[in-house]
Amino acid sequence: MRIDQIGGMIKAFPAMPGAALKLLTLTDAPSATVQQIEDVLRQDPGLTANVLKLANSAYFGIPSKVGSVRQAVMLLGLKRLVQMVVATCASAIIDRGVPGYDLPAGELWRHSLAVSVAAKGLAGELKIQAADEVFTAGLLHDVGKLVLGQFVQEEYTDIKRALAQGMTFEAAEAAVLGIDHAEIGARVLAQWSLPENIVHAVRWHHAPEKFGTVDIMLDVVHVANMLCLMIGIGVGREGLLHEPSPVVTRRLGLEPPHLEKVASQTLQWVSELSQALAVG
Amino acid sequence: MNITVLVGDMKTGRTGDILVTHALGSCLGLMVFDPMAKVGGLLHAMLPLSSINPEKARGNPAMFVDTGVPLLFKSVYEMGGAKERLIVKAAGCGNPMGKNEIFKIGERNYTVLKKLLWKNNILLKAESVGGTASRTIHFEVDTGGVLLSCNGTKGPL
Repeated sequence: MRIDQIGGMIKAFPAMPGAALKLLTLTDAPSATVQQIEDVLRQDPGLTANVLKLANSAYFGIPSKVGSVRQAVMLLGLKRLVQMVVATCASAIIDRGVPGYDLPAGELWRHSLAVSVAAKGLAGELKIQAADEVFTAGLLHDVGKLVLGQFVQEEYTDIKRALAQGMTFEAAEAAVLGIDHAEIGARVLAQWSLPENIVHAVRWHHAPEKFGTVDIMLDVVHVANMLCLMIGIGVGREGLLHEPSPVVTRRLGLEPPHLEKVASQTLQWVSELSQALAVG
Repeated sequence: MNITVLVGDMKTGRTGDILVTHALGSCLGLMVFDPMAKVGGLLHAMLPLSSINPEKARGNPAMFVDTGVPLLFKSVYEMGGAKERLIVKAAGCGNPMGKNEIFKIGERNYTVLKKLLWKNNILLKAESVGGTASRTIHFEVDTGGVLLSCNGTKGPL
């Protein structure tokens, strides 16, 4: 059965480095101390080196040299630091081509970065407060494509037939393969034991109104994903075969100028962030 | 030589050049060609109006249709192109599914383009606009031939 094959691939999906996951769990706890962060990083010298390189990169613009993890946490803040550590780890998993979706090497990674920065930018433009995890949720929202790509490739004739009936791309995935990339992504992240709000944002990023609760983080990831595809970042075979939710548009108070202002800045944000991450 | 035109970018070329742009979603791809002078230009503009971010437009006019289109024509004129001979083709300007007007950046891009062309008495020779597909363009400056790739199929525009 196809769905069993997909389930097997989810189980075999690469894990995040343990240290990165521990850091993510730590930032979830309000009582996390710098000492705990140092303890986690000490177990992974490679990650520590990356943290220091990132902290000293032009992206953060810190004028003095950052020489220790303690200093990096003080200057960047715990959450921002963890986000960047997770991003360096995620790049090892996401930064590759996905033939089923017609995404050449690097394009899914660029799309992931773009949705992260655009989601953050959108919250800023709308003057709303989204959870800090919005960056990580944006970064990981399409992880499921890495599993589903091969099956989309194999069953594309049937998917095309479903699309011709007016389905969205993710609905066609579910109709033909029994599961869509958003659900697969959520299952991978749940397996990694990521915070629940990130898992939900990934699960419902194409259908936010189907999630029982209103979550601003999910809403902005939904809009940012659509926007990044529209401006050609990571748009492959699926094209623009998605439907932006009118419910989300209304509850965010989203207007064309918000979208267009964020679009005008996204490419620059992506290139700054990917340069910072490239130092790792 | 293959010359890649990125998002929010404009490039010109002469005989022997192929101007290429990828992944036109809601963005506008506009090609201008002078068959006598054998010069051409390709614009990949992202957003309709520069007023949304004037600072960006100063640094990068090709990002917006209202500043990018004049830049494209001016650049082709500077290479010896003449207005009366120009062949102009458009592609892109797609939109997501559904009726959500806020996301119809592609439609707004196309409207601004048509207004600009109408004001300047310029007609489009060919177009492939709207819909949900992502489009890629190969524009051969020698012949003015445009190859449009869209949804796994390729054909002339």
